[in-house]
Amino acid sequence: MTGYIVRRILWIIPVLWAVVTITFFLMHAVPGGPFTQDQPLPEGVLDALNRRYNLDEPLWKQYLLYLWNILHGDLGLSFRGDRDVSELIGQGFFVTAQLGLLAFFFAAIVGMALGVISALNHNGPADYAGVFFATAGGSVPSFVLATFLIIIFAINLRWFDILGWGGPIEWGDTFKASAWDLNKMVLPVISLGVLPAAYIARVTRASMLEVLNQDYVRTARAKGLRERMVVLRHAIKNAMIPVLTLMGPIFATLVTGSFIIENIFAIPGVGRAFVDAVLRRDYAMIMGSTLFFAAVVAVANLIVDLLYAVVDPRIRYGRS
Amino acid sequence: MKRQLGRWRFLLLGALAILAIFALAACKEGYKGLAVSDGDPAPPEEQVLVVQSLEPEFFDPHRSNFEQDIAIERMLFRGLYQLVATEDGGVEAVPSMAEGEPEIDGNVYTVTLRDGLLWSDDVPLIAQHFVDGMLRSCDPEVASPYQYLLGEGYLNIVGCDEYFYAFGTAAAPITPTPEELQALRDAVGVKALDDRTIELTLTQPKITFTTIMSLWATFPARLDIIQQFGERWTDPGNIVGNGPYILTEFVAKDHVTLEPNPNWPLEPTPLLQRLTIRFIDDFAVAFRAYQTGELDISQFPVSEIPTVEGDPTLSAEYLKVGAGRIDAIQMQLEDPTLAIFEVRLALSRAIDRELLNNVVSNDAHIPAVYEVVQGLSGHQGNAPFEDIVGYNPDAAKQALADAGFPNGEGFPTLTLTLREDPEQKALGEFLQKQWKDILNINVELVFVDGRTRAQRFNTEDFQLFRGGWQLDYPDPENVLIGRYDRPGANNKYNCSDDEIDAKLLAAGRETDNDARIQLLQEAETLVVTKLCGVAPLRQLALLYLVKPKVGGVRPNGTIDAAMPGNWCAECWYIEEQ
Repeated sequence: MTGYIVRRILWIIPVLWAVVTITFFLMHAVPGGPFTQDQPLPEGVLDALNRRYNLDEPLWKQYLLYLWNILHGDLGLSFRGDRDVSELIGQGFFVTAQLGLLAFFFAAIVGMALGVISALNHNGPADYAGVFFATAGGSVPSFVLATFLIIIFAINLRWFDILGWGGPIEWGDTFKASAWDLNKMVLPVISLGVLPAAYIARVTRASMLEVLNQDYVRTARAKGLRERMVVLRHAIKNAMIPVLTLMGPIFATLVTGSFIIENIFAIPGVGRAFVDAVLRRDYAMIMGSTLFFAAVVAVANLIVDLLYAVVDPRIRYGRS
Repeated sequence: MKRQLGRWRFLLLGALAILAIFALAACKEGYKGLAVSDGDPAPPEEQVLVVQSLEPEFFDPHRSNFEQDIAIERMLFRGLYQLVATEDGGVEAVPSMAEGEPEIDGNVYTVTLRDGLLWSDDVPLIAQHFVDGMLRSCDPEVASPYQYLLGEGYLNIVGCDEYFYAFGTAAAPITPTPEELQALRDAVGVKALDDRTIELTLTQPKITFTTIMSLWATFPARLDIIQQFGERWTDPGNIVGNGPYILTEFVAKDHVTLEPNPNWPLEPTPLLQRLTIRFIDDFAVAFRAYQTGELDISQFPVSEIPTVEGDPTLSAEYLKVGAGRIDAIQMQLEDPTLAIFEVRLALSRAIDRELLNNVVSNDAHIPAVYEVVQGLSGHQGNAPFEDIVGYNPDAAKQALADAGFPNGEGFPTLTLTLREDPEQKALGEFLQKQWKDILNINVELVFVDGRTRAQRFNTEDFQLFRGGWQLDYPDPENVLIGRYDRPGANNKYNCSDDEIDAKLLAAGRETDNDARIQLLQEAETLVVTKLCGVAPLRQLALLYLVKPKVGGVRPNGTIDAAMPGNWCAECWYIEEQ
């Protein structure tokens, strides 16, 4: 198992290198640069800016310089204000991770609960309600849901605020009460979490139904175990294996940010920063963000694979 | 008896004095007699304002390129002069940090600072700081996007262009020695004669001297702070300024917070105790936040005009301001079809600008066939041009026939390049339909993102292009010079006309303002009537919502940047409810 973990970690390195290389050259192939604008800058100004940011060097040299810098932990400076990219990503990710984690827990709890309840009340009212939620929730785009929630609960009822993020923006503020405003967190979390919750509910329901029809469950019931014991001890654990399969990608997706939700609620997260960087051709920020996302996804997939072994004792990694 | 009379006289004088004080307080004078009070201010603990703006890139005035950056920098810094709105809707440059008007001796301009000026950290603000600021703008290593304002054709500071181009260009690079670079820097015509006197040597007199000296590229700089903190010198806690506010908080992609600068020397003194500027690029998001009460001043999208006008509360809070921006269809004159004047005339005369404004923009903007916008000296309006290039379908068809394409026969398909966004899409489809219905020609719409669009414009890779101009400063020369003359840096549509060149050259050198304005008007007339690379469409308006509790907002579209009345952000306050 240790060898498997080490091999997986080492494999992340060439994966990240490939991501960096493809992104770098694709980024420079896109028309327009960071200083291209409608009211064009005088040629001398453009030359001076390119000189300042080493954009006047040949592309291969810029690439090697970038690789050299990231090996030393330097992701460069954003063209927007000359701010440190790693600092911007760190700050943005801190916010995005809060939103993503809360949305993930919301999705997991609501989704699994609904899925289990639906399966246990198969073809009953609770099942129909669960299926309705899974279908509707999975069909409505998050930006439509967000707009709908804003109009009803923020503008009309004035129950919630919608501007910015209600959690701490910097690590140091985490334990300050004044940094938390739950009023601002409810709508973005629900908007982001409903779609994955619907998906989790559907998969949980299907998985539970399959498990509940298994011979060992029938045997457990025949032996006189109470239904609650059958469900909690035998059914749920086995039903969770397929659910876990999709939890990893869901977690990675939520934690790396939703540009749409961050934009609708003006949340200073890393998703919004990334899309903004692409539109502005902020090369350093694009590269840093892409590298960061790739690393998060790679690590998240590794964690999910390891969790399989925890949940299912039949799964073992290592040399066969 | 005598003693009693004396006492009564004393009391009377005292009462008059008190009344005078109240009278003065009730009518606080702003700039040049422009009263800025609307109502009594709320108590200090309620003087908190939240305003929407776009996200800035820099807080360094010598590196800024966008209006949202400049908007905040005008709150943190102030130049020797500043632009103020006049009661008739115009603009003038008045002394700010300068004591008065410059002394002019040929090409040499001498400006004296007010006495006793301080930075926000209590360090005296001296002439050398202004010199350092202007040298930063001319410094090739700072790479100021607005260096051109201090160079040839604009402020004309001796040596500024030579210093800025010390490293040559990408095509012809130069490697100066440190000594050569220093010599070029020393040769720039800005000097501090003493702590209060700045001397500027220009290549030729400049009638818009005080206007350009109000702009951000001339703001003072503290080299000691910049050297101490490097790129972090504009972080809260590091940055110092001489403007009405100081920067106390900045969260990327979220907001800045400003508080009053206790060393601000001018009237009015800010009443706001905290000014928060939220960065929201999406106006639809800002609009919703305004409706929930989380913003006090906000822009909103054109598509929401019916909602705003139909709501009794919002309609009372709606503020529409004609901006210093002209929207136009730029036409590439290197294209063989568009090089034909009658073709351009046909395209221009086939556009119903009133209908366009109504259908595409809910009547938000001002239909225009002019280039020099309302609010600027020399604005001529639509009248001189309407019958020549304005909407007339029959004249449009005739022009196309005169060009050799009767009823559009044989006319090639042209492309119109636009930015990918809903309003641009509506605009493009409107024009496409007008040209098809009236002229029977096909125009293909090409939608690209902002940077790609700009790239195509800069490389002249377009036929028709939805473009225009946003004023850098409120003078008609900024609308025309560099855009329609040769070799104008922005003349990407290749307007090439000896008459226009001559008029603009003469205007740039004219020292009599009336004569200068006359020359610029004549140049504008030539540009518009010849459709020299441009068919104006509309003067854009900025749409704001302002809560009734906000006082002191005096919008002027030709000098505001991103927020209404932010030419005087120190005028803003919260009224007592």
